[in-house]
Amino acid sequence: MSPPLLKLYELQKHYPLDKGILRKPSRFVHAVDGIDLDIGRGESVGLVGESGCGKTTVGRMLTLLAEPTNGSVAIRSDQLPDHDLTDLDKQDVNRLRRDVQMIFQDPYESLNPRRTIIDAVTEPLRLQDLGSREEQQERGAEMLRLVGLAPPETFAYRFPHELSGGQRQRVAIARALVINPSFVVCDEPTSMLDVSIRISIMQLMRDLAERLGVSYLYITHDLGVARYMCDRIAVMYLGKVVEVARTEDLLANPRHPYTQALVSAVPVPDPTYERPVPDIKGGVSRPVNPAPTCRFIDRCPWADHTCESNDHPPLEQVTSDHRVACYHAR
Amino acid sequence: MTTTATTTTAQAGGQRSTPLLEVDGLTVRYETLRGDVRAIEDVSFAVGDGESLGLVGESGCGKSSVALSLLGLLPKNARVDAGEIRLQGQDLLRLPESQMRKHRWNDIAMVFQGAMNAWNPVYTIFTQIEEALTIHQRGSMTRSEARRRVGDLFELVGLDAQMMDRYPHELSGGMRQRAVIAMALSCDPKVIIADEPTTALDVIVQDRILRQLKRIQSELGMSIIYISHDIAVIAEVADRLAVMYAGGIAEIGASHTVFGHPRHPYSWSLLTSTPSIKGPLRTLSPLAGEPPDLHDPPAGCPFHPRCPMATDRCAAEKPPLELLSSDQASACWYADQVPDPREQEVLR
Repeated sequence: MSPPLLKLYELQKHYPLDKGILRKPSRFVHAVDGIDLDIGRGESVGLVGESGCGKTTVGRMLTLLAEPTNGSVAIRSDQLPDHDLTDLDKQDVNRLRRDVQMIFQDPYESLNPRRTIIDAVTEPLRLQDLGSREEQQERGAEMLRLVGLAPPETFAYRFPHELSGGQRQRVAIARALVINPSFVVCDEPTSMLDVSIRISIMQLMRDLAERLGVSYLYITHDLGVARYMCDRIAVMYLGKVVEVARTEDLLANPRHPYTQALVSAVPVPDPTYERPVPDIKGGVSRPVNPAPTCRFIDRCPWADHTCESNDHPPLEQVTSDHRVACYHAR
Repeated sequence: MTTTATTTTAQAGGQRSTPLLEVDGLTVRYETLRGDVRAIEDVSFAVGDGESLGLVGESGCGKSSVALSLLGLLPKNARVDAGEIRLQGQDLLRLPESQMRKHRWNDIAMVFQGAMNAWNPVYTIFTQIEEALTIHQRGSMTRSEARRRVGDLFELVGLDAQMMDRYPHELSGGMRQRAVIAMALSCDPKVIIADEPTTALDVIVQDRILRQLKRIQSELGMSIIYISHDIAVIAEVADRLAVMYAGGIAEIGASHTVFGHPRHPYSWSLLTSTPSIKGPLRTLSPLAGEPPDLHDPPAGCPFHPRCPMATDRCAAEKPPLELLSSDQASACWYADQVPDPREQEVLR
């Protein structure tokens, strides 16, 4: 197997809670608390978990919108020799932005209301100084066609408020892909859209990934969407990745008690299906200065002496493509 | 409409006896600066005692307007052009506001969308529920009675009774939503309208709240109208469902029947565009186009511009909602030709 495009190693992001002028902060939110993950070229990896588990923070670190507290992200970029994202100067960052792009959740807020569509789509080309103005316009029009906003002339000079949510998300996709990135972080790109429109956006994104060879980190809380979009799924709980596996394997044989609860909590569009009751205790622990033991211990139905007397379990291989962080995972 | 032995489309898949709540031919328009919007057009459905009905559809299909009509809370620019809403035979639409207030919360209560964020941050949860109790129960309750009542309600929705003296910010989103449900239950309503009751919540919390609502419903014998865009949630909680599109009912019937084989192409496409995590992953079918602009709705069937089965007839004539069996009614000229969703190709 070729080396991964992206390698996250012990990636951490801690936010200080009580930052004073003279005092050193003593309490930290451990938003992301040391995660290891590989993403292959052309692969789509889903990052799922409940709100507040740190999945968006991971995305922000990968797009250089947040600086990791610790750990590293290695990317194999065409723009740079093998590089650690956490150790870049300004020029490198700019070059790297050609390779890493992001699609945000809310198409109503991610587009500047005073710029035309073609302006929004060609902005990355201008920032990167790629091609002449004519070439940029041409490339922008080509992207609009590619994302299904055809003919481009009818959309190019409109403003975001003239488009529907689905059309705006297509613009956001066109803008993310216009400079041929090798990696795109997608943060819940379809969760604000109506069901009938959601699928066409999902199909478009899969289709473009295949055609352009882009890798996705697909952040979502919806396992159904992740099933359709992703080759592999990583499940996060309070800043930790607790399970990673190939999508179908994870959904059919979840091994971590949290993943099991998550999978059994998803409503199934079939009234004849009797869904099992998720086996999980209530309450959410806050990731503020968490104890070194397993993050899931307070809600875990299996927690016992082993869990209380050891540190958070490492992600361990159970089968070739399935890793779990639990002392009791069978 | 008199009660006869035959099933009406409003009753499809439901009880044959006189229903608790009947919506009959409801038509509502909003007056806006750009002209009138037909938000609800000729909507009829019935909810029996202890029954749960799901209203499902995309944003703008009119499902929340139906809920507001039931409570007499339509905004000022709304006009009810036709129809009746009968609660145990009494038409609520013709009641003066003073009379309507007696029914609101006492007979029909509502859990609003995003209501967990509607708590007033400077009062405790108890103070706010007590206010609802005193207004609607005419102050016939003492403070200690009210506390006991709220304590019981909290237990019913799975909250620790001590939580009632907390301020909203001290509770998690799921706990606030349970407290909203407790408040809706406070005056023993006959019908609860739950408008997207779990939409902003995580799945595990959603699962708990839906199970609790189902349990409460069967324990108290209440009727619930669930409103949701999520067909999977509706499949789990509703005995019957009505699929709404562009202000009208596209299909109505027993959940088992409609989910087994929908007879309207719009219900079909909702079902085939919802990825499930169980069973084989089938090809998802996206719908072309966007929902119609209700300032200027299309002629004929409102769904025809997006419908893969549409013919010239659909563009010219609007199909009426017709019974296909006692369990199912559909507003489609080609109801019998809608494919079985299980014929979708299996991807993996």
